[in-house]
Parts: sequence; structure tokens; C-alpha cells
Amino acid sequence: MTQTAPADPAMMDGAFDPLHSELRIQALTRPSLSYWQDAWKRLKANKRAILSLYIIIAMLLFTALGPQVWRVNPAEQDLLQISSPPGADRSAILVAPYVPWAVEEAPTPVTQSDAPDGTQTPAVVTAPAADAGLELVGTATTQMVRLKWNAMPGAADYAVYRNIIPAKGPGTYGLPLGNTDSAEVTRFEDLLDLRAGTTYYSVVPVDQTGAEMPQSINLKVDVVNSITMEEARARRLLKDGETPELGSTVNFALHPMGTDYLGRDMLARLMQGARVSLFIGIVAPLLFVMFGVVYGSMAGFIGGKVDQLMMRFADFVVALPFLLFMILFKIAFGIGPGESGIMPLIVAMVILLWPSTARLVRGQILQVREEAYVNAARLLGARTGYLVMRHMIPNTMGVILVTLTFAIPSAIFTEAFLSFIGMGVAAPTASWGSMSNDGIKTMLTHPHELFFPALMISITVLAFNLLGDGLRDALDAKMRSRE
Amino acid sequence: MTEPISSVKPPLLDVHDLKVEFDTYGGTVQAVRGVSFAVEAGKTLAIVGESGCGKSVTVQALMGLVPMPPGRLTSGTAELRGRNILGTSKIDGQDFRGSEIGMIFQDPMTSLNPTMTIGRQIAESLEVHRGWSRKKAMARAVELLEMARIPEAAQRAKQYPFEFSGGMLQRAMIAMAIACEPAILIADEPTTALDVTIQAQVLDLLGDLQRDHGTAIILITHDLGVVARMADEVAVMYAGQIVERGSVDDIFYRPAHPYTVGLRAAMPSNNPNAEHRLLPIDGSPPDLFSPPAGCAYAARCPHAMRICNSHEPAPFTVGPGHFGKCWLHHEKVPNGAQTILSAVEGTPAGDLVAAASQSAEEHS
Amino acid sequence: MWNYALKRLIQGLITVWFIATATFLAMHAVPGDPLSGAKAMTPEIQQNLEKKYGLDKPIGQQYLIYMKNLAQGDLGISFTQKNREVNDIIREHFPVSATLGIMAVVFAALGGSLFGALTALYRNKWPDNVIMLAVILGISVPSFVFAAFSQLAIVKLNGLLGVSLLPVAGWGTISHMLLPSLVLGLGTMAYLTRLMRSSMLEILSSDYIRTANAKGLPATRIFARHEMPNAILPVVTVLGPAIAAITTGGFVVELVFAIPGLGRYFVQAVQQLDYTVIMGTTVFFGAFLVLMVIVVDLLYGFIDPRVRVS
Repeated sequence: MTQTAPADPAMMDGAFDPLHSELRIQALTRPSLSYWQDAWKRLKANKRAILSLYIIIAMLLFTALGPQVWRVNPAEQDLLQISSPPGADRSAILVAPYVPWAVEEAPTPVTQSDAPDGTQTPAVVTAPAADAGLELVGTATTQMVRLKWNAMPGAADYAVYRNIIPAKGPGTYGLPLGNTDSAEVTRFEDLLDLRAGTTYYSVVPVDQTGAEMPQSINLKVDVVNSITMEEARARRLLKDGETPELGSTVNFALHPMGTDYLGRDMLARLMQGARVSLFIGIVAPLLFVMFGVVYGSMAGFIGGKVDQLMMRFADFVVALPFLLFMILFKIAFGIGPGESGIMPLIVAMVILLWPSTARLVRGQILQVREEAYVNAARLLGARTGYLVMRHMIPNTMGVILVTLTFAIPSAIFTEAFLSFIGMGVAAPTASWGSMSNDGIKTMLTHPHELFFPALMISITVLAFNLLGDGLRDALDAKMRSRE
Repeated sequence: MTEPISSVKPPLLDVHDLKVEFDTYGGTVQAVRGVSFAVEAGKTLAIVGESGCGKSVTVQALMGLVPMPPGRLTSGTAELRGRNILGTSKIDGQDFRGSEIGMIFQDPMTSLNPTMTIGRQIAESLEVHRGWSRKKAMARAVELLEMARIPEAAQRAKQYPFEFSGGMLQRAMIAMAIACEPAILIADEPTTALDVTIQAQVLDLLGDLQRDHGTAIILITHDLGVVARMADEVAVMYAGQIVERGSVDDIFYRPAHPYTVGLRAAMPSNNPNAEHRLLPIDGSPPDLFSPPAGCAYAARCPHAMRICNSHEPAPFTVGPGHFGKCWLHHEKVPNGAQTILSAVEGTPAGDLVAAASQSAEEHS
Repeated sequence: MWNYALKRLIQGLITVWFIATATFLAMHAVPGDPLSGAKAMTPEIQQNLEKKYGLDKPIGQQYLIYMKNLAQGDLGISFTQKNREVNDIIREHFPVSATLGIMAVVFAALGGSLFGALTALYRNKWPDNVIMLAVILGISVPSFVFAAFSQLAIVKLNGLLGVSLLPVAGWGTISHMLLPSLVLGLGTMAYLTRLMRSSMLEILSSDYIRTANAKGLPATRIFARHEMPNAILPVVTVLGPAIAAITTGGFVVELVFAIPGLGRYFVQAVQQLDYTVIMGTTVFFGAFLVLMVIVVDLLYGFIDPRVRVS
């Protein structure tokens, strides 16, 4: 024996004594977890899924408790603030009730001879003619804007325009407000649908032939919100017994997410819409998944000809173009006056969507039935009840749960889609989809009316999708052995 | 190619101190822990060991097939004709992979591309490594299939893997691996997934190819029967290390490690006269997340001593080209080698060796 | 292969029959049975309808008449528009929807397989993270929101640049088609990207990719010849349902972008309760989708040798 042994270890006492066997047994066991414990552990480790779970809980709280906290009637119209975006200026000055413009002095008569001929025509049309003196009378409020100007030579009449951007010559004056119909009248009162913000007025002289002259006088006016005492009281914007002076500032009602095109509070409507959207989104999947489970497990258990027949029927239902038939059924079930149209939606979804779950459950049942471990359990004398409890349910529950989680966002989507094309819930009832439908009409000017309901749909669908992903990963037995 | 190999010549492939680790959720697995071996032209080296001992990882690391991450090469060199091929990136590796070293995998059913014809898959190597035209490569692919004893090779070349049986697929795999006439053929459990009757055919094919072309073969297996039939040299792996290395005769007649003896005792006999009970090795391999400080086999070894738990044994040389990593060879252990051998008598290994040498005689 | 195609076609015909029957029954379940007349606009149309559908006859006979017409390819006449046949309406508006749909499907399939492959190859690196974030958004945001906000963005962009970069509504030139088809394909693309990613990840860890590496093939060749052709198969199988999703999703996009397609016409017909047009369009769309699923299945058989041969 030729060897090159390291000296040190061999020198120690009793190095070559035999070992007792019990000392050498190495434990290789890890604590065992039940299927659901293990799944829950995996789900908890998935940050995105847990965050989504919190979002869903928050969304449910928002729906259930929101209206208790934010007690604004979602149907009430705030005509003072129509389509106002969140964070809009809510302050308004208190004004006296409207009285017609009483002219104290007769307007200075303007005659042709007074003006030097032609010399006054401004060369640059956009520049306000200084001596034309277009000016504001009083404060520009949403109650009224009063303008006056000096007579212009050659004018037999004046046309007054208003625009949201500065005028750049003829054709860009904007909304025609009216004519003074006289050369003598050099003032104008605008009462037409005034909004707070910057407005540009243009006064264009009109000659005797009725044609507008090329020059104009322009004025930029900052209009502020206004409200009369009575109105403020009626809207409970003032405290009881409080009588502030005219000209002081009061605040309009608060709308944290703005108002829609009818002046309804967006936040309150979103909460109301959430009830409808989430109700449809959760109840319809629950029903059709349940039906699918019953149908599928029946087919799977019975087997044979019945199974074939049942599944062929499911195939036909799957072939129906889903959204078209949703619409068709919606029409067929009809919506009576005063109904919300929620029930027809749910019924149509249940009729059309059960087959995918049924197929899945049937496949799972057939597969589990053939598994060696089920046969082994049967050989060991397990009863059917035990097999169902111990093997069938744990092996199908995961699939069903995941299907349900993914069915919810798609149901919310479907509701939104149908409401968006006007085939969902009926008009007074709000859902996120119908709110989006309303919002898209004013999208270019008031994007918030589309943005908020769209955001709610997206966040909810996102959360359910991510939770579904997490559940699938947590419950998928195949995945478990891989990692 | 078939000239006799002089022992002075440097080996074709020289692997030194190869270590591979894997990062997993449970921690770092030390799959290969310092493996060294050499392969000579025209010879067969068998690497033997149970599942999970690191034999597949060893050859996959040579071929650059260990996915990184999670895998990691922490040390080692592998010189192919003096040039280190270990850790070469995929681009660099293209000139030896497939052309210098061919590889056959365990499961032929999943190791071939299901959407490409067999012929194309064979011809592909030739197109890439030799720059042949598609037509020329296809013609050669048919020849290779014939060489691999596939009947009606011309028709077969146009078929897809799912139209082949398992044994045929493995022969097609062999045709593919030898397409560029590599100097070394790595066969990773080439017969494990096949029927017993087909196993013999595939092994014969490998043997014949080796004889005709002088190819060196690295044969990964856990089947000592295959070892006896095919191998010149044997390396026994346990827990990521080579615990014994020697000629096939050394391993069967003069085993120098208790694990080798255990493996043999667990193998059935094909000698009807021998009365033999299969003896399993108690226990299971150590956790490679934290390999034991001493000998990895100590926990299962019937002859374990105190030192085995605390210190890793050095490779004790017990004969020319034969070593065993076991403290029983230490001079302080009286009759250590005898202790190891005590279990050999009456096991079927002896019969096997006899059978193997018989078949070797038939071939020569 | 031909037998298989024939079998699928017969199955498809039965499915279309089922769709037509379901449509007929659904429409006759409408309260007050609109087909027997109260809502028809003019006496002239009423007369035409009665003649055409045998509205005075019992429902069983009406069904037979309806089926006979359908078998002859006659989908009926409009309920609200005088002398307008549903066939004409389809002939006029369907090509627009089809063009939009094809562009969207091509966009979704190409984008989906490309992005999906990319995410798998760069798993857990930044391209994967960025694309998967976009995918999650694409799956979670309804198409009408994309439509509306892309329109808004283009309007703002046009305003900002002072030139009309892209038209935001209408139909006609390729630039009209670009944005709507992009928006329409987005959801499906996100779905296909996800599918392609998981498919590609499975392929990447498969034994035959290891074999291809062991053969020393260049990475580009492995990608093009071994990884892509196999990874794309699951994507092809879902193209049928994807086409269905895109076709019906087209309703909203056509509505938002004011595209004169069949989808928009259908929505209008629904709003006006033009029952015959609703029925005709439903059956037509249903038949079209059934045909598409068959075409995709046959295409799949052509691509996958395992199916082709057996």
C-alpha cells in the first residue's frame, strides 16, 4: 500500500475507531405543510399578489363604506359647477341679484363728421385701438360681463364676439354674442352661459352695408365665479344666520374629483358605479363558475354517452360569438322602464360563459379519477366520500379558484364594454362603463370625466389579474416541484 | 486514427479540479466538488454513480451546457489537446462543440426538435461546422443514418422525431453526434430511457463506431452492466466527487472504496448459478447544500471511522492508475484494503466481469 | 388532411346552424315580438317584412322560412331603412372592418410573438420587466380607454406640432388605419406576449435546445430554427379566438374613431332596434368567426408536423 496521507488528522486519538451507526444517521426531513397552508405561504411571498389583494379590499371598502363617508347624492346636479375638473377654483364672489343695465347718461352721440376720415383705421387689426377704449364696467363675473367702448368712425353697428383664445383677425373672433344694432349704442352686456376663467372679447364695427369692417377692438377679461345671496343660502353654502357683505367671497360645494357634464359629483358617482360594476363583476362570475362546476363535474362523474352529449352542447355554446350574443340577449330580455338593466346582463353572462369552467372542471375530474394515487387510495379501501374530499376537491378547487379570479376582471371588462356602447346598464344607473361612455363625449375639453372611471376599471382589473397570477402560481402543483 | 496510444502522449482531454455550484431558493448546491480525470483517444471512460451525484453536471459543464445562472463554475480547467475549453462562451465554444466533442443525451424522445426532420437536424451540424451545402449535408446525413443502422435511411431522413421509435431516435442521436467525426463522444446515460433489448443494440453501435473511428467515449451511467461491457477506465462518483478511479478490472476485482462495493452489491446477477441477495445501500446521499466536512459517504459506510466524519480522505493510490478516496487505505488501519474487499466475494460482479471479458474477446 | 378539413367544415356548418337558431330564438323572445310588427317604421317595410318572413304564420313556419332564406345566403331586409338588404349593408361595411381587423391581428401576432420571445430571452432583466409592465397595462386597460386617450394624445400632439401628424377619426388612407388598428390589436398583443413568453421559457429549458447547443450551433440559428418555430405553436392555436376578440373589440374602436365599419353599423342597429340587421349581422359574424377558427386550425395543422401527418 503506497499512500500519501496527511499527517495531522491521522495523529488524533482514536481517529480510526469504528463509529456507532446511530451517530451517523442524517435527518433530511423538512416540516410538512398542507396544500392550502403551502399555497397561502407562496401567495404571501408574492408581493404583487398581496398588494393586489390589498387594492381589492380597499376597492370593496370604497364601495361599501364610501357612501357613508362621502354623503353626497350622486344624482344631485350642481349647476354652478358643470364639468369642473378636480382642483378647480371654487371661490365665488357674492353679488346682488341681477338687475338690467340702467344707463345713467346718454351715450355720446357719434356722427360721421366728428371723425377724421379714414385716418383712424388701425393698420394692425389685432391691436386694440387705444382710443376705441374697450373696457369693463364693474367686475366680470359669471353673472354678467359688461363692456363699453368709444364710438368708432364709420360704424353703423357693432358685433360682439367672445372666444377662449385671443382673436387673430377676421374669422377668429369666436362665438357671436350679438349686435348693438345702432351706432349710438357702444356698450354690451354678456349674460350668456359664462364660465370662470379667461375670455377674450372682440368688438367689430359694422358699416352701413351690414358688412363687418376689417378692424376690431379686443379685450382680455378674467371672469370670476359669482353667486347671489339667495342661491348661496339655497345651496347651503352659507352658515345659518350668516349674512356676509356683497362682494365677499364664498366657496362652492367641494367635489374632490370634479363634476360630470350634468354637474354631478364624480366621487359619489364613482362609488355608486362601483356598486354596479363590482356587483356584476363578482356575482356573474360566481354564478357561471358555479354552474360550470356543477355541469362539468356531472359530465365528468357520469361519463360515457351523457358526458359526450353534454360536452358537445358546451362546444356549441362556446362557438357563439360572445359579445354579439350578450347584446342579443340584452335586447331579448328587455329593460322595462325604471329598471337598471343589471339582471339581464348577469343572466346573459351566465348563459354564455359557463362552458369554459365546465370543460376545465370535467377535464380535471377525469384526470384525477385516473390518477394512480386515487386508484391506490381506492385499493386501500377509501370510500367515495373520502376520495372526493381528499383528492377531487383539493385538486379541482385550485383550478376553480383561479378561474374565478380571472373571470372577475373579464366580467368587469364586459360590463364596461357593453355600457360603453350603450348596451349595459340603463341611463340613470351609473356604472364605471356608462360613466366612461358619458366621459368620452367631453373627453377633449374635460378629460377627467373619462379618466376617473377608466382608472377605476383599470386598477380593479389589474388587481384581480395580478391576484389571479399569484393564485395560479401558488396553487399549481407542477410549479411547486420546479422551484 | 487507430494507431496504438503511447502512455507518454498527453491525454486528449484533461479535466482538472472542476467545481460547479447552483444557486437555488434553498441555498447554494455544490453539485460538482473538484473533479479531475483524463480521457485518452480511442478509449472509453465510464463515469458511474447514483442519481444526483453530479455526473451529468460534470459533462454538461465541459460542454458549456450548464445554464448560468443559476449554475456557476467556481474552479477548474479542461484542456482539449492543450487548449482550455472550460467556461468558454457560447460563441467561442462553437468550434469544439459538435465538431470536436459530440454528445448523446439520456432521453431521445425529448432531445430532438419535434418540428424539424431528422435529416435536417443531422445535416445542420455539417452545414454549420463544415460549411457544406444543404444538399451535400443531407446526403451525408443519410449515410450517417445508414451507419447508425437505420433501415431505409433516405426515407427516414425526411421524417420527424415523432415518427421514430425510442431506439431509432437514440441511433439517430448518435448519427447526429458523430456527424462531424468528433474526437470525443459524450454519452449521458444513452440507454437509460430505452428497452433492455434496444439497449444492447445501441451499445454495440457505440462500440463499433469507436473501433472504426477511434473515438474516445465518456460514458455516463449508473448501470454497472453497461460499464462492464463498454468501459476501459472507470470513475466512480459520489456526492460531487470522484471517490475511486481505475481500470474496469480494478473497479470490479479490486475495488478501493466502500461505495464501489456497495454499488456492486446492489446490482442483480445474470449468473443463474450464483445465489445472491440484492443489498441496498442504507440511507441517502448527503445534502449538497452543506456537504459534510469529512467523507461524504461516511454516514452510509459500514466501515466508517471517527476520522471519516471530520476529515476528507485524500486519494490513496492503490495501484497503477488506481486510487480510492478512503481512510481505510491509511497505514494506521490494519487490513484496510481487506475490509473493503470483504463484501466482494460472492457478489455477482465477478460474474459480470467474466462475461464482459468474454464479450471483449469476441470483439477483438 | 383533406378528410380532416372536410370534417371541420361540416362541424362548422352545424355550429353556424346552431348560431342562427339561437339568434332566431333570442329575437323571438323579445317582449312583444318585434318581428310581428308594432315597431316597423312604414307600412311599406311592414308589408315587405310580412311577405319575406311570413309574419302572420306560426313561429315554426317562420323559422323554416328564415332558415330557407339563410341557406340561400339571404340575410333579409332592413327594419328601419327602406329597401335596404342586410347583404348590401354587409357588403358595404364589412370590408372596412375586415381591413381593420386584419391589420390588428397581424400587428398583435407579430408584436406578441416578438415581444414574448424577447421577454423570455431576457428573463428578469430590464427588457422583460419593461415589456411585462406594458403587457399588464395592456390586459388591464379597456380598449375604449386606449382608443380615447390615444385620440386625445394625437389631438394634443397635432396641436403642439402645428401639423396634422395622424388623423384621429374617419377612414380612407393608411394613416387613418394606423392608430385604430394599433389600439384594436393592443389587448390581444398583450395576451399573446404573455402566452409567447411562457411558451418560449418552456422551450428554452427543453432538452432539444440543449441538444442544439451541444451541436455548437450559433445562437441566431438556434433562435430562428429551433426556438421560434416551436414556441410560436401555442400562439397559433389561440389565433382563432384572438380573431374573434379583435372582431368584436372592433365595435368600440370603430365607434370611437368614427370608422364606417360593420361593427359601428351593428351598434347603431342595436340602438335603433333594427332587428333584422341585428340578426343578419350576428349570423354573419358568427359564421365568419367559425370559419376563421377552422382556417386557423388547418393552418396549425400545416405548421405542426405532428398534426399534419396524423
